[in-house]
Amino acid sequence: MSINMDNVTVTFKNKVTAVDHVSMSMEHGIYGLLGENGAGKTTLMRVLTTIIKPGEGRIDLNGIPYTEENYGKIRQRIGYLPQEINLYPDLTVRECLEYLGGLSRLTKAECKKRIDYYLERTSLTDHQRKKNRQLSGGMKRRVGLIQALLNEPEFLVVDEPTTGLDPEERIRIRNLLVDFSESRTVLFSTHVVEDLAATCNQLAVMKKGSFLYCGSVYELLEQAKGHVWICPAGTDDDIRRMEREYHVSSKQYTEEGLKIKIIGDKSPGLDCYPADVSLEDAYIYLMNYCS
Amino acid sequence: MKTEIKICLPVYKIVYSVLFMILLSLVRGISFVHEIGIAMQVYVGLLALIFCADTYETEFQGHRFEVLALRPLAGRVKAIRRRLLIQFIYLCILSSVGYVCFYWQSPQSDDSMNPLGLYGIYMAAAAVMVLFWGILSMTLVSVGHNLWTGIGIALLLWMALNSSWGDSALGKWNIFAFTYRDVTDMGNYSWLLGTGIALLLSVIMAAAIPWTIKKRGMGI
Repeated sequence: MSINMDNVTVTFKNKVTAVDHVSMSMEHGIYGLLGENGAGKTTLMRVLTTIIKPGEGRIDLNGIPYTEENYGKIRQRIGYLPQEINLYPDLTVRECLEYLGGLSRLTKAECKKRIDYYLERTSLTDHQRKKNRQLSGGMKRRVGLIQALLNEPEFLVVDEPTTGLDPEERIRIRNLLVDFSESRTVLFSTHVVEDLAATCNQLAVMKKGSFLYCGSVYELLEQAKGHVWICPAGTDDDIRRMEREYHVSSKQYTEEGLKIKIIGDKSPGLDCYPADVSLEDAYIYLMNYCS
Repeated sequence: MKTEIKICLPVYKIVYSVLFMILLSLVRGISFVHEIGIAMQVYVGLLALIFCADTYETEFQGHRFEVLALRPLAGRVKAIRRRLLIQFIYLCILSSVGYVCFYWQSPQSDDSMNPLGLYGIYMAAAAVMVLFWGILSMTLVSVGHNLWTGIGIALLLWMALNSSWGDSALGKWNIFAFTYRDVTDMGNYSWLLGTGIALLLSVIMAAAIPWTIKKRGMGI
């Protein structure tokens, strides 16, 4: 399984370039996609799912080029959970999934089997008789995820699948995606850096339509090494001064008092000492010091 | 089929369509039984125009098209045709019930005209109107990429054909020729030409649904 993008560019009618000469290759496994709001992540995902045609560039999935005559072949290999989706409000969870499974040409028996499996994996078995309109935001995301998994796609694109989920459910969904990605490719976009840290080896960071970083999580952490410090916070005035001068990624209460984690190009002071780099720190460092 | 019924016949649509029929039977005055069909036909078309406009467009409201687009086109076309059929049957039943509602006005019966025959002719004309205006508005909405644009254009056409201009310019070829026919000459079936054209156009538009869906595109 491989997806190759080469110089993909999307410019909207209002001349806004949402995706700007992006190139990337994906083999099987989970690939993370990070970036600030409006960076172009969702547009890129829509391009990869054939919903938007790029203005420039080439994409292929397993060697099949993204051209209109191939869309049918490509689409049956893709599963997609959009960022916003409101499935049929008057249908129950099961009816909705059976309906979408039927549209994917699954046999009734196969469809039932898969729905039962994924309802179990997403803890929705007890809610399958509820109408979609009665579901919470997190439950709707999970139903959306099941519809994306139903035809067992070779390439799964999920846009913020863990939004609105409680911590326990987030872990279950992450595990489900990890299991699913064993022999397939998953592109996982999220704002929750922790989710990517727990699932991905490879990731891309987008800013203003371009890739600011594309590579392994480990290399991204290496880049930020030596740029993250822990400092004693001192007075409130000290904290405010540091927040103005540096990027404070977190505050920790310890036995020795309040300490803050600072990200910057140079050490903030003598009292500070280097800290372990988390993916969130590396992301903040990349966004603010490497662009 | 049961799932499609739930999708295309939500409660609010049933409520407004029933209310429309009741109101029509209350406010549109008639004196004779043979006037019921004339009073109803154009408004049955208007109801179908509004009712069916969102048959496909509804998928764009909840971003469902982004996941539907990945499903095979043949399945989507089948689903849209099923929804049109369900709405067609529902509106035909409603038109039939609406016809009976007009009897609240105690219309006089003309002995030379068989009430059941009048009802049968009305139902045939009304069924074609439901089919034509329903598919037309859905097609215009899809081609125009916007619900209100599609409804607006269909409404302008409806008003143009349901006018003295439409009657004088098109005569027996008018889609509403049934409404504008001479009721004193019930043996004259020239209005079938207009109704036949509506039927033919409906068949063409129904056959073009795959093209209509592609034309709608993703709209992003």
